[in-house]
Amino acid sequence: MKLLKIGISGVRGIVGDTLTPELIMNFASTFGTYLNSQKVLLGRDTRISGPMLHAATTSALLATGCKVIDLGICPTPILQYMVKRLKARGAISISAGHNDADWNALTFINHEGTYLNSYQGEEVLDIYHLEKFKKVPTDKLGFVASRTDYLDTYFTKLSKFLDGSAIRKAAYKVVIDACNGGGAGIVDAFCKRLGCDLIPVNNEPTGYFPHDPEPRPRNASEVASITKIMKADVGFLLNSDVSRISIVAEDGETLSEEYTLPLIAGYYLRKQPGSVITNYSTSRMIEDVSRCHGCDVIKTKVGQSNCIQTMIEEDGVMAGEGSGSIAIRGFHPAFDGFLAMGMILEMMAVRTQKISEMVKELPKYHIVKEKIYCPPVKAHSIVSEIKKLYSSHQISTVDGVKTEWKDGWIHIRASATEPMIRIISESKSKEKAKERLYKAANFVSQLV
Amino acid sequence: MKKRLSLKISISGVRGVVGDSLTPQLAARFAQAFGSYLGRGKIFVGQDARASGFMIKNAVISGLLSVGCQPVDVGICPIPSFLVLTKENNATGGIAVTASHNPKDWNGLKFISGEGLYLNPSQTQEFLDIYHQGEFSLVHADKHNNLLTEENPTGPHLQKLLNTLDIAAIRRRKFKVVTDCSNGAGAVLVPEFLEAMGCESILLNATPDGALAHHPAPIPENLTRLCQAVVDSRADVGFIQDADADRLAIVDENGSSLGEELTLALAVKYVLSKKPGPVVINLSTSQAIEDLTRDHNVPLIRTKIGEINVVEEILNTKAPIGGEGNGGVILPAIHPCRDSFTAMGLTLEHMACTGKTISQLRQKIPSYVMLKDKINGSPEEAYRIIRQLKKKYGESEDISTLDGLKINFADHWVHIRPSNTEPIIRILVEAKSQRKAEEVLCRFKIEMSGL
Repeated sequence: MKLLKIGISGVRGIVGDTLTPELIMNFASTFGTYLNSQKVLLGRDTRISGPMLHAATTSALLATGCKVIDLGICPTPILQYMVKRLKARGAISISAGHNDADWNALTFINHEGTYLNSYQGEEVLDIYHLEKFKKVPTDKLGFVASRTDYLDTYFTKLSKFLDGSAIRKAAYKVVIDACNGGGAGIVDAFCKRLGCDLIPVNNEPTGYFPHDPEPRPRNASEVASITKIMKADVGFLLNSDVSRISIVAEDGETLSEEYTLPLIAGYYLRKQPGSVITNYSTSRMIEDVSRCHGCDVIKTKVGQSNCIQTMIEEDGVMAGEGSGSIAIRGFHPAFDGFLAMGMILEMMAVRTQKISEMVKELPKYHIVKEKIYCPPVKAHSIVSEIKKLYSSHQISTVDGVKTEWKDGWIHIRASATEPMIRIISESKSKEKAKERLYKAANFVSQLV
Repeated sequence: MKKRLSLKISISGVRGVVGDSLTPQLAARFAQAFGSYLGRGKIFVGQDARASGFMIKNAVISGLLSVGCQPVDVGICPIPSFLVLTKENNATGGIAVTASHNPKDWNGLKFISGEGLYLNPSQTQEFLDIYHQGEFSLVHADKHNNLLTEENPTGPHLQKLLNTLDIAAIRRRKFKVVTDCSNGAGAVLVPEFLEAMGCESILLNATPDGALAHHPAPIPENLTRLCQAVVDSRADVGFIQDADADRLAIVDENGSSLGEELTLALAVKYVLSKKPGPVVINLSTSQAIEDLTRDHNVPLIRTKIGEINVVEEILNTKAPIGGEGNGGVILPAIHPCRDSFTAMGLTLEHMACTGKTISQLRQKIPSYVMLKDKINGSPEEAYRIIRQLKKKYGESEDISTLDGLKINFADHWVHIRPSNTEPIIRILVEAKSQRKAEEVLCRFKIEMSGL
């Protein structure tokens, strides 16, 4: 089975299989054609296949006449931030975020620094399918300029947005596992700027991932034990493009990545009330937290593009997903792991509270997740088949199938990034959450 | 009339027009095919100074990485230095991003074996089969290499030159030399090379930025500025390289250009005086070389056009020297490839060891006039014209069909062949006098247009 995912915000696949230089070039040519030879930023994470994709993308962008500003190894949120700062017309980020090491991806970013929305994405895909790429003659070819000064620009802005002096005064001891990904080495600048004492874990930009680059308790054992032993104030786990984080409390307890959004919302909505945007798969914690602050929650389909676009259209104040990502409208419209870490540090400093204390204030839910391998060609029909399981319930089909009970919900959908069907079940009762998950998982397994 | 094709895939590699046929996708596919052909290993990637070099080079690098090769970026590098580097570093092979003498909007790829030689016709065939089958040995992400860069790509070549040439003799003369690098890749080595030769050096068009102050072929039309500079600076000699620095033309101390055919002729005369042996040239090279070999009583071998054909025959016959009339001197003692630095070195050594000026040396070379011209035409049209001319002249004249059609008349010859690198038909005429050459060329052009 060949694995390739083409979506509105880019292309994702397995290197050496579907993700060939030619495919990458066709997509980069597409984006260069879409931008009509204007200025474009380029950044990548540390994945071992990065240089191949980087060379292919550079070559194809130049051939369409684009001027390329190469930021080298650069976390996606920083790349997104720099698009407006450097007045570029767009950007391509080479990173497969939380996917395994054998995956890689191109993500297209528009002139606002956000993932392409569905209209822009469809236009891009039309160009791709037509294969009518712009080709310029030698004297009109683009050129590459490299920049390395952008970290300072970004962290200055971030430290101004946060209560930098409160964080610096607290002088926290922080453990960060960058998974040798795009954040490796860059977290040093982050901590230095916020006066934190960094204990780095997997902080070499080698692209050798010691565990899956997905921030969740399963991958957090190193951070958890180090946080506890070193008596650090907090631990963080990053994905490979630093768009998501999960948190480890000072006592070494690993928090589900679902906590990132409600923890931050509980603090930020008090400062800045307004709508919160999240997807259908995210824990009910955010609904309870928002209600406490008199704010409403707007739900979208899963994915950064949907969430951020809705935040802009509905004038929300923040957005986030249960996978550990947040964006704050007042900072920039992108899922940003540095912002998430900064907000957590700020709330610790301002409230003079420990993470374990903050967690206690959140409503208690049990969320269980399962992913079942499924060939992409069958995924959507299987998901629509599953409606039968809940024929007596009210079903939402905006994104896969979602059913709610008084004590919880279940959401079954085809992944946009992997050949998987994802099942997420949440309930006040651990047993009920599991029971519903197993029932759905059984049903799906039989159909695959 | 059919649209002129802008892509040539031949024994000389791939050449195409950027913005038209030569896309990043095409370059990456060829790099993948080459990596699949040679197997994983270290592959050097070099470029000449053309503006599109960086774009194409990146496409090549991505193609090589995807099939598990270890690309080493050499940057802008003279082609002979690149070939020596590939051999001396025990690389698996090399890809040079260059279109040699083609116009500015062209670029291309040349494929090089681990011996530092261009692929020969049978290797090229095998490699092209892999390209056309499109089955490349893609490797998974964990087998990908990182991109490396080579810091001193011209070092091994310079060392070879210094070891082989009579440096002491050249240095003693303290020659004053004007060199026009044609804004090409040669510019990265010329200053260091001439300093090592103890020369006082004046450089023209010495920024390797691909601006190509003039059309990059070192033909007399491009020499005006160089000729003037030689006179103004009272230099001993003037040199002009082509864009990838494999060919050379010479200007004498009076500012008079010798014509590119004389570069090889002078080198052959000097080398045979020291070390007699067979000489290998292609079908289009001047009769003067043939006369020189007759003087020294050594065999002369003519090959098909294409540098690798000459090189392979040089290696087969253990010839001490060979080359092409277009200013391409091949001295296997340095490396079996056309090399403008070798040609410069031999010219300087020739002057140093004989104590003669260039104008005196040229007197010793039999005098011929060669005219080179071309008409537009696809390979198919070329084939048709050649077949009809063969029918007409085959009975009465001495002809060779080794490559296109060469007709040897009693005191002149005509060679008609499709170009390997551009969609044109080349026509060459050599005769004892300008008038005769012009008359023959004119007659054949009319005859060919009629066909």
